[in-house]
Amino acid sequence: MSGEVTERSATSTVRSPVVSSFGTVSKVWLGHLGVLLVAGLGAWAYQLQQGLVVTGMRNVFSWGLYIMLFVMFVGLSAGGLIISSAPKFFHSDRYEGFARLGVLVSLACIIVAGLLILPDIGRPERLYQFFTSPDFRSPMVWDFGIVVLYGVLNVWYLWLLTRRDLAARGSRLAFGAEDTQAGRERDRTLLFWTAAVALPTAVMLHSVTGWIFATQVGRGDWFSPLVAPVFIAKALVSGLGLLLVVSILADRYTGFDADRDELTSLGKMLGIFLAFHVVYLLAAERLPHAWADHFGFWAITSEFLIGDSIYFWLWTGVGGAVPLVLLATPQLRKRLSVIFVAGVLAVFGTLFEGIRLVFTGYESVNIDAAPGISLGGEYAGVTTDIWATTGVYTPTVIELVVTAGIVAVGALIVTVGLRYVPLQRQTEQERYAADSGGGGCD
Amino acid sequence: MTNYGLVIDQERCIGCHSCAMSCKQENNVPMGQAWNRVLTVGGDHIDTPEGSYPEDGDDGTLEMSYQPTACQHCENAPCVKVCPVNATYKREDGIVEIDYDKCIGCRYCMAACPYNARVFNWDEPQHRPEEGTGDVEERPQGVVEKCTFCSHRVEEGLDPACVVNCPADARIFGDLDDDGSTVSKYVAEYDTNRLLDEKGTDPKTYYIQGEMSPGRPWKGKELESELDEQPTPEEADDPDSEESMRRATADAVWGDD
Repeated sequence: MSGEVTERSATSTVRSPVVSSFGTVSKVWLGHLGVLLVAGLGAWAYQLQQGLVVTGMRNVFSWGLYIMLFVMFVGLSAGGLIISSAPKFFHSDRYEGFARLGVLVSLACIIVAGLLILPDIGRPERLYQFFTSPDFRSPMVWDFGIVVLYGVLNVWYLWLLTRRDLAARGSRLAFGAEDTQAGRERDRTLLFWTAAVALPTAVMLHSVTGWIFATQVGRGDWFSPLVAPVFIAKALVSGLGLLLVVSILADRYTGFDADRDELTSLGKMLGIFLAFHVVYLLAAERLPHAWADHFGFWAITSEFLIGDSIYFWLWTGVGGAVPLVLLATPQLRKRLSVIFVAGVLAVFGTLFEGIRLVFTGYESVNIDAAPGISLGGEYAGVTTDIWATTGVYTPTVIELVVTAGIVAVGALIVTVGLRYVPLQRQTEQERYAADSGGGGCD
Repeated sequence: MTNYGLVIDQERCIGCHSCAMSCKQENNVPMGQAWNRVLTVGGDHIDTPEGSYPEDGDDGTLEMSYQPTACQHCENAPCVKVCPVNATYKREDGIVEIDYDKCIGCRYCMAACPYNARVFNWDEPQHRPEEGTGDVEERPQGVVEKCTFCSHRVEEGLDPACVVNCPADARIFGDLDDDGSTVSKYVAEYDTNRLLDEKGTDPKTYYIQGEMSPGRPWKGKELESELDEQPTPEEADDPDSEESMRRATADAVWGDD
């Protein structure tokens, strides 16, 4: 391995962006994203003017799509950073080819997550209060801090990974960094330390986001110490799933070259994460309640095994069992199409896990005597009066358009990154095979 | 230290919604919103009992009571702890209040409140009449609002509107830190419970169930601590006092309590 390092330094393989220029297809794609972005801004402006009454949220069900997707995108932002920093922390070159693309996707996702909070806020012009009058008891303040830190860390990480290549290409994005052998050596040390900071930051990000819910005594199943570990598992599943999906798409449509063996290896890892998340943690969460609430063996077993809502089945079935079977079957999991489908389904599943989490908090209320709770606005759903004893929620078109606009920002970041950030993996093969044992030489 | 609390005697409550209406009027609460609501503990609908009618010689099992519900002004208030910008805070006198100029409208407090006591202004608040009612300034679109124990009245030495306007004397407001106050005495004397006590929020609204209290021997609309003379049970028994007359009428209607 040390020989390889020398060789690479000598030849100094400079990486380049995987999209050399925006062709017609790219421009059409960018145009679509631009339209979504403009539509989203328009919808947000309309919502600001009319108030959140144009959403499906009301007094009982007071958080909706924005928060559900915030939770999802925080989870999605995990994949790239963990896949790139975990090997670096252990001085391994494994999955090196995915590191840059991964961090780019992480960055896009955490930006989308942060932006999703904006339309959920009733008076966004007062957000400066986070700085002038913070209450450090609030998990939302913790989360605000960690999301910002995580975003900054991603920017720094992506720049550190690519600045020598940017310098070699004469890009202004190098910000004065020079492409020297000593510089590249120093960056390897810096990358190790960045990884050492990034890993605990990622763990904190997902835990704190979980604690926003897990600290609340008034919202049913939210109040569970398992929520933070579940958020970690969810982040591993959805983050890795998204990274696989984006890598395969980039491999297909751009100059990005995803190593097949590493894709298969990451696919297996996704299977392990899925098993831990959807099988183990879910069982660990449900068994004690099922056991305590029922007397007979079959009553306990059926309560334990049977789900509660459509969201549960979309998550555990379509987004859990199916990709798990795909990735567990040796004949299937080597196929690129299977890895792609499994990644898509894993992301799809965690979307519905987040939706289900919010629903379990708001669907039923603790004090549900008639007439109930005033909804605070003309409700557009099935009920007509101002009172409700249960929470009902369907996102409105406005919410969907605003959300699509924000997700388009993420897609724009990735697309522009593919064009300007040197993501091209190096052509040397089998380097990952040397990671065990030879780690110290880096 | 002052620590305000409320006692609601569910045995006295007649379900007339005067507290809810006077709250809405006094606090200028927008259309479609309620800070204070009277829930029916019984059947599936308002004013319906649970159980069965006495038919075919059976004894009926009909059962119904009323539970007026607003902000419980918890000692360990989750809404205060979650507010990221200190807009919801606990005052020195124990009242949980919102600074409407600070509230960013994130609604984390609504997620935190186990009682669903908080409402959010989803659109531009509407009032009837349009200029509003009562003595409290209207709150803008995009902020959360809720019961304040009528802190604007309490500061003037007056009981909250819902307390003064309860025709059944079912609501008693006072200082829980003062052992001599009626609220403290009732909490000590009667069988009281607090809503969702098991959640550990330590609410300062107590509900009397079982034995009916005599209400508060009223002297006026002032807070007990603002009165020149403290009301005493003896006074209430003075046959010439207005209070006693009222009580006697109540006894005639409700039977001996």
